[in-house]
Amino acid sequence: MKDKKPVLTRRDFVRGTIAATIGTSILGLKWPKAEAKALGSSLVTIVRDKNAMDSSKNVDATILKKMLEQTLTKFTGQKNTKDAWLSLVKPNDMIGLVPTPHLNPTHDEVVDSVKSSLVDAGIPRKSIKLAQGGPHKPKDCTALIALPALKAHWLTGIGTVLKIYILYSGNPSRYHESNSSKLGEIWNLPFVKGKTRLVLVDSLYPLCDKGPQPDPRYKWAYNGLIAGTDPVAVETVCLKIITEKRKAIRGEPWPLSPPPICVEAADKVYGLGTSRMKEIKIEHYGWEQDILV
Amino acid sequence: MKRKAQKETKEQEQGNIRKELAIMKLSPRTALFLLAIIIIVSISEGATGRMKVCKLNLPKTIGVWTRPDSPRVINSENIFDYMNGAGELYLGYCFNHLEVYEYTADDEKSILVELYYMKTSDDAFGLLSLDWGGEHVFFSDSPANTANQSLTSSTRALYGAGLLRIWSDNLYSRAMAFRETPASKQAVLTLGKAIAANRKSPPEPELLKILPLHIGSAWKLRKDRLSFFRSYLVLNSIYYLSHENILDLDLSTEAVMAPYEHISSASDRTRSQFLLVKYENHERARKALNHFQDAYLPEHQKEFTAASAAKSPSLFKLEDGWLAYKLVNKYIAIVFECPDQESARIIIQENESNLLKNGGYHER
Repeated sequence: MKDKKPVLTRRDFVRGTIAATIGTSILGLKWPKAEAKALGSSLVTIVRDKNAMDSSKNVDATILKKMLEQTLTKFTGQKNTKDAWLSLVKPNDMIGLVPTPHLNPTHDEVVDSVKSSLVDAGIPRKSIKLAQGGPHKPKDCTALIALPALKAHWLTGIGTVLKIYILYSGNPSRYHESNSSKLGEIWNLPFVKGKTRLVLVDSLYPLCDKGPQPDPRYKWAYNGLIAGTDPVAVETVCLKIITEKRKAIRGEPWPLSPPPICVEAADKVYGLGTSRMKEIKIEHYGWEQDILV
Repeated sequence: MKRKAQKETKEQEQGNIRKELAIMKLSPRTALFLLAIIIIVSISEGATGRMKVCKLNLPKTIGVWTRPDSPRVINSENIFDYMNGAGELYLGYCFNHLEVYEYTADDEKSILVELYYMKTSDDAFGLLSLDWGGEHVFFSDSPANTANQSLTSSTRALYGAGLLRIWSDNLYSRAMAFRETPASKQAVLTLGKAIAANRKSPPEPELLKILPLHIGSAWKLRKDRLSFFRSYLVLNSIYYLSHENILDLDLSTEAVMAPYEHISSASDRTRSQFLLVKYENHERARKALNHFQDAYLPEHQKEFTAASAAKSPSLFKLEDGWLAYKLVNKYIAIVFECPDQESARIIIQENESNLLKNGGYHER
């Protein structure tokens, strides 16, 4: 009995001992050994525009372009979009754009807008490619821009930022059950680690219930872009928005099930960033109504 | 793996047939002829059994939308190509195959019709039961044939924001307009009527009959939150218990999760979660409870024996309230998050009492 690995259960979630149990039961560690992050607070920006989509949910490309420009300049503190991009990527980088492919996929308009913006900033068109897919996709990229769409997920609780690179593992189904807490390890694969220069979440039309297939009753026009360089902080903000929306829909707490343990594990076990709201600085611009954070 | 197993079974069957023919001492020519017929029949049955397209009389054109002549057919082997991890949901029930039609139109977004053929009506019901939200839709003037105690009344179809979900005998269907308009809603509802036409309306799963609507005067069943399932992944999507399968759920088990709400606490909505699982036999139920106890309550002593269950439920004070369980022959009843010991005890006992009235005690 002494050597028996503890099983992660609801009780760990209630007690707040998820990270410790993951550390001992899944990773075989006595205690999570995340790399210490010498960071202060992680900045996450939210830019929203009420008119980013029309009543039929068509994206207004002009408004989206302005939202992207505002996101880049506010997040980086640079004067213009070009300087903002060049503070995130190098002109000679091979840049991979990584959108969400399924279940509430990233809008094409968002991908196109980022691509145009990079080209306008002087990045050669041939140095920008779509990099969603198997492990070969990120290998020749020197920089990645994660472009997930905001959504819940029926096997991992939330399926936005941390899950975006799941295909890079070469074995996505491995992360769908008891090992969903290990999604963070994909970000530490040698051909992925350190390459993510920006996480830009398409939160124009999020999905707040887990699916597994899209149910339009749980999609709503948030009309936003959420950005950061700390993937865990961005995911934590996304989680907060989804949680608050679910509560608003039912008029009572409606927790995600299964709980998104991958977020806390990404922080405390894999050292990818912070999942503590008090360590996240949220700046929001534009439309304020129902911002949910 | 499955294909290999099917092939092996087929070869074994053919081997047995050869042996039987030898025993019958037929002439070689007659035997060869009979053998050839049997092989042809068994092969064609196997093929059609796997990929048979069920004929539903769906209209070719509806409004401005038109469907292709034949559906895309998805089975358990290629379901992940169609829907990635979502396939786990359908494989968590007894799934046969899926037929997909896309109705397209020049100037409108399409309507997707997915017909999930399940092996039993209970499984199709289970898929609908995962979300009772939406507008109730009736496709005939008379309500569906329902059993004496029907917890979900005659609800067989629910519509919301362009999506229609239907339970019709062993068929679970999703018809979704990618853009909801009055015309697309009308088209989706008309398609729903065509899907449900001339199909049987079996009652809800037997397991639901066990659930009392009220427990004393304090607790009432939240019928709009009860779910039927067989898989721990589905359980976790309803009520997270563990990332491991600590109740040994599989396709041979039947389970219902049913919240009971405290009647007098409408403001704070105190809710306890009742779980009832039916196993193939007593031994499997006992082993499953043993597994649950080890994983979920490792610091507590077991309070049941191999031979029989304790007379009273086992009760435990946990971080989120009281938990009680009881092993009743091939059933396990567990209640979570009770505000006090007495509530936990009475919820288990009332359900056990109903179970015994429904013959559960004699099932071995």
